[in-house]
Amino acid sequence: MKAGEIIDRIKKNLGAPWRDATYRDTYKTGGPDTEVTGIATTCFVTLDVIRKASAAGLNMIIPHEDTFWSDRDDQAIVADDALYKAKIALLTKHNIVVFRIHDHMHVQRPDFTYVGSARAIGLDPKHENPPGSHRYVIPETTLGALAADVQRRCGARALRVVGDPKARVSRVRLGVGYASPPINPPDIDVLISGEQQESDGTFDSQPYALDAATLGLAKGIILLGHTISEEAGMLEMAQWIEGFVPEIPVQLVKAEEPLWGAAGQ
Amino acid sequence: MRVMYTRDPMTQLSRREFTILAAAASAAPFALDRPVAAAATARELLDRITAQIGVPWKADTVDGLKAGEPATVVTGIVTTAMATMAVLQQAVQTGANVVISSQPTFYARADARTPPAPRGPGGGPPGGPPPTPPAAAAPDDPVFTAKNAFIDQHKLVIVRLSDHWRLREPDPLAVGLAQAMGWTMHQVSGDPRRYDVPAVTVDALVAAIAKKLRASGGIRVVGEAKTSVRRIGLLPGSTPIQASLKMLPEVDAIVAGEVREWESVEYARDQVAAGHKKALILVGRVLSEDPGMQLCADWLKTVIPGLPVRHIAVGDPYWRPAR
Repeated sequence: MKAGEIIDRIKKNLGAPWRDATYRDTYKTGGPDTEVTGIATTCFVTLDVIRKASAAGLNMIIPHEDTFWSDRDDQAIVADDALYKAKIALLTKHNIVVFRIHDHMHVQRPDFTYVGSARAIGLDPKHENPPGSHRYVIPETTLGALAADVQRRCGARALRVVGDPKARVSRVRLGVGYASPPINPPDIDVLISGEQQESDGTFDSQPYALDAATLGLAKGIILLGHTISEEAGMLEMAQWIEGFVPEIPVQLVKAEEPLWGAAGQ
Repeated sequence: MRVMYTRDPMTQLSRREFTILAAAASAAPFALDRPVAAAATARELLDRITAQIGVPWKADTVDGLKAGEPATVVTGIVTTAMATMAVLQQAVQTGANVVISSQPTFYARADARTPPAPRGPGGGPPGGPPPTPPAAAAPDDPVFTAKNAFIDQHKLVIVRLSDHWRLREPDPLAVGLAQAMGWTMHQVSGDPRRYDVPAVTVDALVAAIAKKLRASGGIRVVGEAKTSVRRIGLLPGSTPIQASLKMLPEVDAIVAGEVREWESVEYARDQVAAGHKKALILVGRVLSEDPGMQLCADWLKTVIPGLPVRHIAVGDPYWRPAR
């Protein structure tokens, strides 16, 4: 089966119109004519993911995120980089075709990134109100206990928290990746998301939560890291693709959390 | 009205030219060379900073007055990486009424004293459908309200100094971070961002950074804990992939403030996976910039002699549950 046939089936099954204007959801290496032996979904096309996919007999990689270290996969800025050349050589050696699915994954309903993230950190669908809102009302707990529970469930080594560990919280807003909703609305106690610029953006949730804590207000942010936040849902993505591409193996090949955390004082 | 000018800071001639230009152009002329009396105003402080920062003042900049009255008589100056509530409280306790902040005070680059209007329910992710228009006018926000009330009550003046401070040479944020780490003697000639330190394992280096910068858990690392590193590169603040592409191949470890995970974190991960003995240590944006704002306090003492100036650190905004 050729890669182009798989992409056609993805577009047909998406449940939303394909937007050709996307610069993200395109081929990064290989093309529609590449013969595919199997499909790996992942968060990032790391060197390790390429090796693992290839070892498993999979030569099509469908990542949620970029391959060449920038959102646009701008190969001009890395053209002279030795690591870029090595990565291209590895992709070529294993005849890998990479097609990113980002924008259309977030347009799809449900958005598997939210489904996977909620599952990974233990947010119960029955607490989501209304369904699909990414807003959860959980039994009241403390920010410290919630963060410890989330950390234990998802295994994140580099998770970070802002806010008073003793703050009483129950209204959770889930974000994914870099698309973190702001923490300031009065009906949100805790934001759980992947990655969020620390300051100088359109709204800086960490400084806001820091000041809220100083003022004694119950606001907290739990940052899982980009990969922990969005990779879980690539399992659902693999299962979805498998449903309409039954001819070849489809599986999640995890990029895994790239970061580890240092103990504080 | 802000005076726009370009100037070579090294020559007295250009300073005299500037003074003449400033006197001619400004609605409120001032004399740069007179000793500062106890009655210096925030406006005079701002004008002196503008005149002496050493780089042309930008027309389009985040720097400048963010809160307070320019006519306020300065009682003391505090520099900080971020004018948080805690920093403002400490500033007041020390008798200061002017705060010079590297990062925004009001939780956005726009740095407005009013909260943003809430987004509608369909606020879209990048690449998704456009966010729906604001659902309603901004409600009363307790954090904005309390911070504004504190600023007004204590008649504080808050100035952002970021764009221009980091353009100074040598890079004061890098110099400050190196000083905080005790690496100044190890500087690679002529480069404030490069230090060759005695060989150290990544985990020992991270522990030293956590101790010196008083990290409470915000530090994150790419690389093997037992990799030995010697060549250190500094990227304080927030930096794009281009900075890591240039620096990481030439060093063993980068100590950075904040990067985008899909850029530099993944690049560093692939470097390690390719067999290179590299590490990327992320300390956080604010934690990485506070040492440079200590240098800003030292500099301000020369800009406006006779006024008390001190630095107050924000501290690590983050913590991590015990494992």
